[in-house]
Amino acid sequence: MNLFTIPLKNLRRKLLRTAMLTLVFSAGIISVVGLYYVSATVGESLEQKLTAYGANILIRPHSENLDVSYGGFSMGNMSYNVHKLDMDTVHDGVMSIGYKDRISAIAPKLLESSSVNGKEFAVVGINWIEELKIKSYWYIDTADHEPHGQEPESLPETAEMVVDGLEHGSEFGKYDIIAGNTAAKLLGLEKGRETEIEGKTFNVAGVLAPMGTDEDRLVFMDITALQELKNKPGEVTFVEVSALCSGCPIDDIVAQIKLSLPDIDVTAMQSVVKQRMFTVNFVKNLVLVISGVILVIACFMLAVFMMASVAERKSEIGILRSMGYSRAKIFCLFSFESLVIGASSGLAGFAAGYFTAVKILEKMELTDGAAVHFEPAHLLLSVGIVCVVSIAASVIPALKAARTEPASAIIRL
Amino acid sequence: MLKVDNIYKSYVGSGVVTQVLNGVSLEVNRGEFVCLLGRSGSGKSTLLNIMSSLLDADKGDIIYMEQTFRGMKRCETDRFRREEAAMIFQFHHLMPYMTAFENVMLPFLSGLRPAGKEQKTSAYEALAKVGLAGKEKRLPSQLSGGEQQRVAIARAIVGKPAILFADEPTGSLDKANGDAVMKILSDLNKEGLTVVMVTHQRDYAAYAHKVVELSDGNVDSIKVKSA
Ligand SMILES: Nc1ncnc2c1ncn2[C@@H]1O[C@H](COP(=O)(O)OP(=O)(O)O)[C@@H](O)[C@H]1O
Ligand SMILES: [Mg+2]
Repeated sequence: MNLFTIPLKNLRRKLLRTAMLTLVFSAGIISVVGLYYVSATVGESLEQKLTAYGANILIRPHSENLDVSYGGFSMGNMSYNVHKLDMDTVHDGVMSIGYKDRISAIAPKLLESSSVNGKEFAVVGINWIEELKIKSYWYIDTADHEPHGQEPESLPETAEMVVDGLEHGSEFGKYDIIAGNTAAKLLGLEKGRETEIEGKTFNVAGVLAPMGTDEDRLVFMDITALQELKNKPGEVTFVEVSALCSGCPIDDIVAQIKLSLPDIDVTAMQSVVKQRMFTVNFVKNLVLVISGVILVIACFMLAVFMMASVAERKSEIGILRSMGYSRAKIFCLFSFESLVIGASSGLAGFAAGYFTAVKILEKMELTDGAAVHFEPAHLLLSVGIVCVVSIAASVIPALKAARTEPASAIIRL
Repeated sequence: MLKVDNIYKSYVGSGVVTQVLNGVSLEVNRGEFVCLLGRSGSGKSTLLNIMSSLLDADKGDIIYMEQTFRGMKRCETDRFRREEAAMIFQFHHLMPYMTAFENVMLPFLSGLRPAGKEQKTSAYEALAKVGLAGKEKRLPSQLSGGEQQRVAIARAIVGKPAILFADEPTGSLDKANGDAVMKILSDLNKEGLTVVMVTHQRDYAAYAHKVVELSDGNVDSIKVKSA
């Protein structure tokens, strides 16, 4: 038994009232915690979806560029000392960084000029699965086909199964090609037909819808197939990397890749990053503001309750003061009462809020690609904040209690 | 032991000044039972509050064991009430959410250090002294008016104060319970406790060694019973 026995006994005797207040206070915390977790998870999932609209890091071989012109006649951009980029080196380099969990796609590309149907044309070798992760805006008019160049037994039976069970891109095989819209017209490529590239037969698996980008004029094929055709095993022209950057600046990721891949150009595509972060941050800031408002309301509610409690227990305060309890002790009594309500609301609210968030995310199927992470630090932080808020709420009532004049507080006739 | 020296006190409320005490002087000796007698509104409670340091006087001084209240810091008057004095009132003012035992423990709970075994024993003894042994676990609502007032007395004496201030301790009790309370106070006084009691009931003044009559803020008479 000590000073805190008094507020604890009081709270216990008025259990219903304490429970009601805790419940209301918890409701506020449930909304804050729930909102936070839903938004963090949706934000992460949103970021992953946004990743599909382009990569944000570019890895190129180091080269010295020179704009060559003579007599007013431009000879274009000439690159000297182009170091060749090796696919496995880049992949291993990127996957060895500290932030490797943040890397969502590593899409290598080999750019070559090849004879397609007898015409010299720009052909891009890509990794189907990695490429389609960052090219979700591609609309491919696909032919009903079986992937060429894969083991038949490992193939999906129907197109639906491809979508459901396998990663996007696995429906394309080594000897499949996809033609850009303009390229298809120029070369007379049609989906489902065959064509010859460098003397080898390929299947036109699909044609891209016109997009108005460079991609319209390109032919895409499997990178290993192109490497074999051109006899450039493992070689890539450049690599696009997509990183999720919530909670860590893209510059850090770039710096880490640079460290593990010296002599290679690594650049962040800032505009892509900024746009992406803006969307995610907007959601987070909105939640922050709403949480702040809820906490302020909860704070006022607790303050009003404590104020009423002080008025009601004026006589008790007087009697305690008559026993020699100092003003500071009276202040502590009421602050502590508020703190107990705050701390229990904080704990209960966090647990319920977390649970609610998980349920909401499950129900709304918002979690694809992201999961709710429970972190003990969050629990400590939120309970800590709630404790501070509840003490702040009780400052004025507790001061009023401490300043109560004992002689006039004690009821007498 | 306690000297009241020319005390003046007035209340200011909504622009009206009520002069309550007009130069009251008296003395309380160690081991004495002093009774402040007077009609309702004569300023008895006000005087007792000033004597017990709950209220500041406008003029004059209280001297307790050579120490003057005037200019005393709040922490010093707090300490005086915690260690030297105790108070009971017309109403028991028990914490309704605490048992009789817990209420009696209150004087020991003003710090963060948990109350010790010794203090718990004192609480049981104090309750036994006022005839409430066996009722320690009851809440105030489960006790009669007389019993509640006796818990308040136990709470007052548990810390072994030197002086007890009682403001109409029998005021809300019937004759039988009032007599019981007076008997307890008289017994405590015989054990050495100095008692200053305010009452408007002349019968109970008979228990006192010294009866101070107040009227309109002045000391009317001081009667000392020869032992
Ligand atoms: N806090 C106060 N404010 C204003 N007037 C008061 C206050 N307390 C007491 N009084 C007035 O002072 C006078 C004396 O009161 P009190 O000391 O309680 O008398 P008693 O205890 O003898 O009945 C009364 O007229 C009362 O109305
Ligand atoms: Mg009175």
